[in-house]
Amino acid sequence: MRDHEPDRLPDSLARAVELMRQEEAPSAKWRGELLRRAAAERSSAQWNAARRVTLSVPWAIAAGLLCAVVGGAAAFGVVRYGVSDRGAARLANNSNVSDAGGGTMLPVTFSVMAPNAASVSIVGDFNRWNPTALPMRRSADGRTWQLEVRLPLGLYAYAFMIDGRLSPDPAAPHTAADDFGTPNSMVVVRGS
Amino acid sequence: MRRAFIAAALSAAALAGAAHAQRPTLPDRLDAAARATLERTIDTARVAGLPVGPLYDKVSEGVLKGAADDQIVRAVRSLARSLGDARGALGAPADPSVLTAAASALGTGVTPAELRRLAHPSSGDPNGSTLATALVTLVDLVTKRVPVAMATSSIQSLLDRRATDQQFTSLRADVDRDILAGRAPEASVVDRVRARTGPPPP
Repeated sequence: MRDHEPDRLPDSLARAVELMRQEEAPSAKWRGELLRRAAAERSSAQWNAARRVTLSVPWAIAAGLLCAVVGGAAAFGVVRYGVSDRGAARLANNSNVSDAGGGTMLPVTFSVMAPNAASVSIVGDFNRWNPTALPMRRSADGRTWQLEVRLPLGLYAYAFMIDGRLSPDPAAPHTAADDFGTPNSMVVVRGS
Repeated sequence: MRRAFIAAALSAAALAGAAHAQRPTLPDRLDAAARATLERTIDTARVAGLPVGPLYDKVSEGVLKGAADDQIVRAVRSLARSLGDARGALGAPADPSVLTAAASALGTGVTPAELRRLAHPSSGDPNGSTLATALVTLVDLVTKRVPVAMATSSIQSLLDRRATDQQFTSLRADVDRDILAGRAPEASVVDRVRARTGPPPP
């Protein structure tokens, strides 16, 4: 029996089919505008973050006391119930606690364009690279996925997990080390 | 007396919690040999006073990315070495993010001597946040194919002029835009830095 070979398309038609299969590449102008907006949004978030950590003395004392109580209770949970530090991290990320373990937590908004994705999450140094810990939400325009994460001050490597595939943030600086074949992005969380 | 006892108990619990928080566990997927090697490497780093959080994070990253155990061990050892080198160059910075960013900069080819100069610019030492942001920007420029020497001298000149975190962030964004528009990374960096620092002296 002879193997069936599909008829070969004319070159011009084959090129057209190939072009239609490719995802539409964004124009440089559109991408530039997107980056500009993202930078503006991030600046705004950082300004808000800076404003949130400027506390008056009475509030600072109250926050300190709250930290001591929350920290003590969490530590009691560790001692009494053997709760792991992963549990503490989940508490800090999934609740509205703005100060955990005596360190300032600042809101950082991550966003990525992925109009055709079915699921997007964020993985990084702040969630032990756990792809299920921080699922992102599709925004109203249907093209962007977003998530606000509260993070302690510091430097973090991260990436997006888009439909199970890792992708660095196109709008963020990248790490130099590429130890595992996929580059990461970096974010510096700062208080002022 | 009772109050003192409660305060002492709370302090002890808080200390126990803090100690526990500093000792995360390694992922289950690793085999016994890799686990033992990693624990040794991490313990050595801890004893040397290096931040071990980034080492655990590197392990988790490798596991998520499906790396082989020996590849993870190599990456963690390499990071521990870079953190040690960074600490050797900078002294003992209070801010672990500076150390992590400095380790990353060393990974791009910045020398320890250059790192020292970056940390102590002519205008006075920047705060930890600004230095970390400057080093992250430097690393990013190098990954965008700006030669290390040019990226380093550009960042140095900005630090010498007391550039702010925001100015480093905007430099990166501007260079990114230029590259997307088709400009060569080197030319973009030269122009964008000059725009922030003024023309070079005659």
